Amino acid sequence: MACLHDHSCEDHDCSSGWTLYEHIDLPKVSALNEAVPGSVKSVFKAWEQRLNSSGLKFKRLLIEIQFRNKKAHWSYFLLQGHLESNEGDPELLVYIPFTSDVKIKSISVVGGVDGTSPSKMRAFINKEGIDFSDAQGMQAVQEWDLVENFQGTLEYQTRYSKFQNVASITLHFPNSFGGDTTKIEYIGFKGEATKLKRDVVATIVYELRPNPSDHKTKAEGGGLSHVE
Amino acid sequence: MVLEATMICIDNSEWMRNGDYAPFRFQAQADAVNLICGAKTQSNPENTVGILTMAGKGVRVLVTPTSDLGKILACMHGLEIGGEMNLAAGIQVAQLALKHRQNKKQQQRIIVFAGSTVKHDKKLLEMIGRKLKKNSVALDIVNFGEEDEAKTEKLEALLAAVNNNDTSHIVHVPAGPSALSDVLISTPIFTGDGEGGSGFAAAAAAAAAGGVSGFDFGVDPNLDPELALALRVSMEEERARQEAAAKKASGDAAKQEKGGEGQSSSQDATMTDRASVGTSEAENKSSDFMDDENALLQQALAMSMDEPASSDDIRDTDMSEATDPELALALQMSVQEGGKDSGSEKDMSKLLADQSFVSSILASLPGVDPNDPSVKDLLASMQNQSEPDQKKNEDKPPKEEEK
Repeated sequence: MACLHDHSCEDHDCSSGWTLYEHIDLPKVSALNEAVPGSVKSVFKAWEQRLNSSGLKFKRLLIEIQFRNKKAHWSYFLLQGHLESNEGDPELLVYIPFTSDVKIKSISVVGGVDGTSPSKMRAFINKEGIDFSDAQGMQAVQEWDLVENFQGTLEYQTRYSKFQNVASITLHFPNSFGGDTTKIEYIGFKGEATKLKRDVVATIVYELRPNPSDHKTKAEGGGLSHVE
Repeated sequence: MVLEATMICIDNSEWMRNGDYAPFRFQAQADAVNLICGAKTQSNPENTVGILTMAGKGVRVLVTPTSDLGKILACMHGLEIGGEMNLAAGIQVAQLALKHRQNKKQQQRIIVFAGSTVKHDKKLLEMIGRKLKKNSVALDIVNFGEEDEAKTEKLEALLAAVNNNDTSHIVHVPAGPSALSDVLISTPIFTGDGEGGSGFAAAAAAAAAGGVSGFDFGVDPNLDPELALALRVSMEEERARQEAAAKKASGDAAKQEKGGEGQSSSQDATMTDRASVGTSEAENKSSDFMDDENALLQQALAMSMDEPASSDDIRDTDMSEATDPELALALQMSVQEGGKDSGSEKDMSKLLADQSFVSSILASLPGVDPNDPSVKDLLASMQNQSEPDQKKNEDKPPKEEEK
C-alpha cells in the first residue's frame, strides 16, 4: 500500500485511523459557493483513495442522487471528482453531518495545485444552516493555518476536549493560496464514533388544563392535591 | 415538490397606478401574487411564503415566511401605492428574511416583481446577484410595467449573476389583453425548474383557456396528482403493448379472457392504491409491476377487441355453453342403432376424442363408474373408432349395469 509517506509504514497501517468517513451522512452533506452543486460529496472517501480524483463510487452515488432529483447533469459529475468554488471567489463553506456523534482527533485536507489549496480552515460544531455572513461573524471552535499538502500526509490536530460530541461539523475555508478558486480533493477525519445519536424530541404532549388525577400525592390519597 | 421558502417582493410604487394591465398594474400584480402563493403552498405543504413591499416609505416585510395561505392573502388587502421602488434593498431584506427561516432545510427563493424603472447601476445589481448565488438563493424576476432598455439589461445582468444551474428565471410580460397571471402560469416560475409541471399549473392553465376542463380520465390532477399520473402512465403502457398482445390473442382460451376481465378490475384498484401511497421512486417500481400485471390486462382487452374467433374458440364456447345438448345428442345416438350422418359422425368422433368430455358424460350416466378398468379400456379404444365400436361400447355399460 503506497502511503507516499516519508517514513516507513511497516510498523503501522497508515489508513487505519481515517475511518470516520464511514460515519458521515453523505446525502446531507452540503456546501456553499461550490461551482458544481453536489460535488462536495466527492471529497469524502477512503484514505487510500484520497488522491484519486476520478472517484468511481462517488459517480454512481451522485448519478443516483441526481436521477432521483431528475436533474440532467450526469456528464458533469463523471468528470468532477473534487470540490471547487465559484470563479473569482475562493471562499468555501462545507457542512458535514454525521450519522452518530463522533469524537474527532484530527483532520486532513488535500487541496488543489497552483495556489488553489485553502490557506485557512475554521471549524464550527453542531450548528446547522450557517451561511457566509454567520461564519465570518462567529467565533470558530478552532482555526488552523493550512499548508499546501498534495499528498495528504499532513494532519491537523484538534483540541480534543472540544470535539467530543460532534453531530455535525462545518468547515469554513475563507482563502486560498492566491488562486482564483479554491479546490479541495479530499477531507479526512480521524477519531472515533460513539453509538449515540442526536434526535429531535419526537412526541411532546401538552396539557391545556391540569388534570387533578395526575397530581395526587400519597398522603392525601383520594383528595385533591393542595396547591400552595 | 421541492421544499422551498419563498419571499415575494411586491412593487407598490406610483408607477403601479397605470392602467395598461387590466384593471390596473397593481391589481394584476396582486392577482399574480395570490396565484403564486397558492401554487407554492400546494406543491409542497411544508413550503413557506413571505411577502414584502419595496416602495412606499421603505422596504417593509408584511409577512415572514409562513405556510398559512390565509394570512398571506389577508395581508394583500389595504396595501397603499406610493413612493419609489428600491430593488436592491428589497432583495437584500428578502435574503435576510429567508436566512432566518424556521426550517433550515428549505431551499431559498426570492420572486421579484419589477414594475417601475430600476435606478441602481448594473454593478451593484451584479454584486447582489453574486452574493445570492454564493448563499444558494434562487431568484425569479417578473419584468412588467415600464418598458425600458436599460431596465431590461440590468435585470438580465442580475439574473446572469444569480443563476446557478437554471434555478433562477426571468419573465418579460408586455402589456396586452391577457392578464399578468395568465402569462405567468406557463412560465417556469409556476412550473418550478421543469419538474414536469405541477398539477396546479396545468389545471389553472386549462381553466384560463376558458374551455372545458381537459382532465384525462375524469380525474382532477389538482385533487389527486398521483392518481392522475398513475393512470396516465398505465394508459401509455397499454398503448405500447397492444400490438404485442394482439398476437397472443389468437391462441388464448375463453377462460383466460373471463379470468383476465375479472382480474383487471381488481388490478385497477391495486394500481390506484399503490399510486396514492408511492413516491417517485415507488412510481418507477410500480411501473415495473404494472408491466407484468398489465400483460393479462392487455390480453383481455385485445381479445375483447379481436372479433373473428378461431376454430378453437368456437369449440371452447360450444363446450362451455352447450354441454347438455351434446349430452342429449350422445344419448340419442346410443338409442339409435341406424346409420348416422357423416356430419354427426364427425361431431361424435370429435366429442368422443375429447377424453375429459367423455368421462364427464359417463360420470353423469347412472350406474357407470368412470374409474372402472373396463370403462377406462373402452375410453382408450374409443378414440379412433367408427360406429360399430361405439355400438359395442354402448352395449357394454348396460351389461355392467346388469352385473
